[in-house]
Amino acid sequence: MAEEGIDVLVVAGNPWRSDYLRFAADITPVEGHAFAFIQCEGPARIIVEHPAEAARLRSEQAELDVRWSLSAIEETETAIRELGKRRIAIAPLAAVPYRLAMGRLVASIGPATALLDRLMLRKSPSEIAAFRRAAVLADEGYAVFREAARVGRPEYALVAEVEAFFRSRGCPENFQILGSGGREVRGMHPPTERRLAPGDLVTTELTPCVDGYYAQICRTLVLGEPSEAQQRAYAVYDEALTAGIAAVRPGATAGDVARAQNEVFRRHGLGDYVTSEYTRVRGHGLGLYVDGRPALLEDVDLNLEPDMTLIVHPNTYHPEVGYFVHGDSVRVISDGCEVVTRTPRRLLSVPLA
Amino acid sequence: MRRGLISWSRDEVPPSVLEGRVARLQEQMRNADLGAMLIYTSFARPSAVAWLTHFVPYWNEALLVVFPTGAPVLLAAFSKRVHDWIRSVSHVGEVRSAPDLGRAAAAFLKEHPPQPSRVGVLELDALPWPVAEPLVKSEYGRGLVDATGLFAAIRQPADEVEIRLARRAATIAVQAFKTIPREAKRASELLSVLERSARLDGAEEVLPRLAPDLRANATLRRLEGDALLGERYAVELSVAYKATWVRITRCVSNQGVPPSWRGAAERFVETAERLNEANLSLGPQLGPGKPVAWTLETCRGSPPLSIVATGETPSPSALSGGSLACISLQLDLDDGAWLGGAPLILGSRGQPSCLLI
Repeated sequence: MAEEGIDVLVVAGNPWRSDYLRFAADITPVEGHAFAFIQCEGPARIIVEHPAEAARLRSEQAELDVRWSLSAIEETETAIRELGKRRIAIAPLAAVPYRLAMGRLVASIGPATALLDRLMLRKSPSEIAAFRRAAVLADEGYAVFREAARVGRPEYALVAEVEAFFRSRGCPENFQILGSGGREVRGMHPPTERRLAPGDLVTTELTPCVDGYYAQICRTLVLGEPSEAQQRAYAVYDEALTAGIAAVRPGATAGDVARAQNEVFRRHGLGDYVTSEYTRVRGHGLGLYVDGRPALLEDVDLNLEPDMTLIVHPNTYHPEVGYFVHGDSVRVISDGCEVVTRTPRRLLSVPLA
Repeated sequence: MRRGLISWSRDEVPPSVLEGRVARLQEQMRNADLGAMLIYTSFARPSAVAWLTHFVPYWNEALLVVFPTGAPVLLAAFSKRVHDWIRSVSHVGEVRSAPDLGRAAAAFLKEHPPQPSRVGVLELDALPWPVAEPLVKSEYGRGLVDATGLFAAIRQPADEVEIRLARRAATIAVQAFKTIPREAKRASELLSVLERSARLDGAEEVLPRLAPDLRANATLRRLEGDALLGERYAVELSVAYKATWVRITRCVSNQGVPPSWRGAAERFVETAERLNEANLSLGPQLGPGKPVAWTLETCRGSPPLSIVATGETPSPSALSGGSLACISLQLDLDDGAWLGGAPLILGSRGQPSCLLI
């Protein structure tokens, strides 16, 4: 902040975009808007919009100056005005509300967001340690998922088992979507009432959070013996994941990692299936947000640097077998990357009996 | 992130009910000379769009565009691949791909010019700037008006469908409380069984907060990691079932229920039932036991629950009889803190409120 000439940085957040608040003030809002006033020295001042949230944050960090207001945005606007002529900036772009952006701070949103993004991209040793712990939990959670995936069970029961496991390990957050079925399945979604059937491909993306940091794993299993088509499809995704991971190193771009994965699909005549019609990204950053920067897409030229944390996942639709996912969390190191999730990479099969 | 069951049962939430809600909004829009209304939805603020369409975003964001006539259009920043899923769980006229939501909304309004040109925005002050900026800079920028009050005017009282969903959510929470092991020693043990029970019962979401040792601290916390449970602890469960949220708080003692708690629970029920639309400013009228804190919350915008009245604010906002609300109360008893909370249907003037559990 001092280098950028900022006296007070106002960080906005909410239960979905809590990452910047967690980074700047170590708070995680559960309900409503929250704003943190960060100065170069001294504890943060926090404004939330629920008395229970205020009490909770005070109990978590006694040194914080926490107040609440039915209109946290209006209260924040007043607090900004009271700062007078000090040099104030507001971020992040994704969470700054209209009312606070309509004033004199609008020009500060871009640079202040970029400042935080730079700081959040490369992880410190303690952040890496939390990421590793989350990766261990992701592996363990996937084992629970695999155990829960049985013919006749509804999709939401699988998630219930995984969430119960995570809670038993003190994990308060997890982002999980899944899919089940065959060629008709085009993606993943929150769990439905659909009951698993023999021959289904069951996909999941599982993303537990430890001390605020997310790690992710993507795997696909088959209920019963995999068909030849499923085996063939798996081989393509495994080759793509291997190629993607091999491309992760300092100096490579996010686009290089996406391209390495997509080239595998193109070589196998599946180039159509790496377009936006069938897939979103070939991976993304991980950290305090579940879908962080950079997006692994061929046109993203952000350079990878040591201690960035990512998921590499060539997840997409396969015309013979349906939607298929396969991915691991990695940390960029000086000569490549370290894969931190350890669940074996193979087409997992769950016995029908 | 929404991790539980998201599905649309036409029996529980008939399309005609959703269409009726949209029609009420459209009537208000016509009365207010609004040519369109924009309603933002995200994981953090899902409730207004869910009430109108049954759509709940499990991540990402969307903007519902409602014109004075016709079915609403959902501009969704989700991949096209998810559109079939969106259609399967919601009742909208059209789902459009809108990766850049603000620009897409501005373009959509240009393509479908609102008549009149005034465009209402629910909670305009809170609209995320990346969505708001292209709208502000569009030809409709000067016509953007806040329509929070307009929406709130039709949002409550609750209809029978919403009350049934709230009862189901409350039942899920009560059932989960029954699974608490008598000799639970750690918060992780407790939260694990609550989570499992609620999600197996079909909860769309469950947010637990816990005061692990009531004798030490009665603040309800979001736990990361674990904590030892004291002899007495309190659990608050906020449960969503098909986009309807309730909040229920229970105290637990592993030495049997103290007599003081029985009295507190009775007074909680009496207090809650005495509340009505005309006496909210009085707050809970209790016998023994000093109220330390209380809140009455309801849903009348995009947040699942927001404050109507609290012990810390002198004047409550108005809430009409028949509204679905949640009351939470903390008492300071001779032998320590006691917390309770439950959903209710607020009584009309002179009429008692009705607790849902």
